[in-house]
Amino acid sequence: MVKEGKDVIFRIKRFDGEKSYWSDFVVPAQKGMTVLEGLFYIKATYDGSLSFRASCRMGICGSCAVKINDRPRLACETQILQLNSSKIKIEPLDNFKVLKDLVTEFEGFFAKHEAVKPYLIRKDESYAEPVELIQKPEELQVYYDFSFCIKCGACFSVCPAAATREDYLGPAAMAAAYRFNADSRDEGRYFRLATICSDGGVWRCHFAAECSEVCPKNIEPAKAIQKLRFQSAVYMINRAFKRW
Amino acid sequence: MSWLKWFEFRGKSIFHLSYSFHRLTGLVLVLYLLMHLSYLTSLTFGREVYEAFIATTVTPTFLIFDILLVLVGVFHGVNGLRLVLHEFGLAYDARRPILYLSYIIAFILWLYASYKLYVFVMGV
Repeated sequence: MVKEGKDVIFRIKRFDGEKSYWSDFVVPAQKGMTVLEGLFYIKATYDGSLSFRASCRMGICGSCAVKINDRPRLACETQILQLNSSKIKIEPLDNFKVLKDLVTEFEGFFAKHEAVKPYLIRKDESYAEPVELIQKPEELQVYYDFSFCIKCGACFSVCPAAATREDYLGPAAMAAAYRFNADSRDEGRYFRLATICSDGGVWRCHFAAECSEVCPKNIEPAKAIQKLRFQSAVYMINRAFKRW
Repeated sequence: MSWLKWFEFRGKSIFHLSYSFHRLTGLVLVLYLLMHLSYLTSLTFGREVYEAFIATTVTPTFLIFDILLVLVGVFHGVNGLRLVLHEFGLAYDARRPILYLSYIIAFILWLYASYKLYVFVMGV
């Protein structure tokens, strides 16, 4: 049991552009102190070259997702004392290219997100004469949970399908696609399904369901993918009969 | 990017364990299928050759391997049915109890099949 005021060792996996190595730092744990605050303490006290991402510090931006004791978590929402460990192992997220220390390449991840058109698509969109789109509370509930994604990449980092295929869209992008496909105001379902219903899309998922287990916002990307599978199957049947 | 991540267990949940075992058991079943087909192919060389093969493997010594093979097959089959159910978009919210139930069903089927195998091979 680690108590307040006790020293905790932060064991951080570093990368300098050429080689990987581990660095150990002693951090005095305070009540309520987060792993992110510990990283800032290390940067200010021991090593200014330590690199990590952080922005909002309140679990909204998704920048600070790292592997803490072998599990992807948001550093800003993980309290040191709650880990109940005198040694905390911190690594960059798996399945992402490491740029420096805990900073990983996210361009590919965001490109996949963009590929599924994560926005409302309307046939009658008119910016000159905008129309209010009415939605009932029960229609909102269909996709509400999936709209909480903060794109932290935790789901993608544990996905075994993403580990072996670089072109796999991944759980986050497909959860975003389902969020808009399930939105009663949206009319762009078939544009998204054209991308999703592919070898690198829903059919690549093998339902390890680890994405749902690690999501810091509990949005259940695995559930979204299985629901998209059903939509994709219907889409394929209809396409075969050229109904769309 | 590596397929070795399929078998990375640290920090992973029971769902990932099931995923990894499903892959492993699949590989074992493919190897068994190749062996099984080569046994059947031996029939083309005559009944004696096939029976010589069978006399080597259908023995009390090999019974433990047969029982392990049944475990592999039963786990892969029951876990596969669980995956098919979820991949139709059904019963996702009950995925944890269904996972445990699939383990229990696989275990019971394995015990029953092992008993039947034991009776067949040992001639009890």
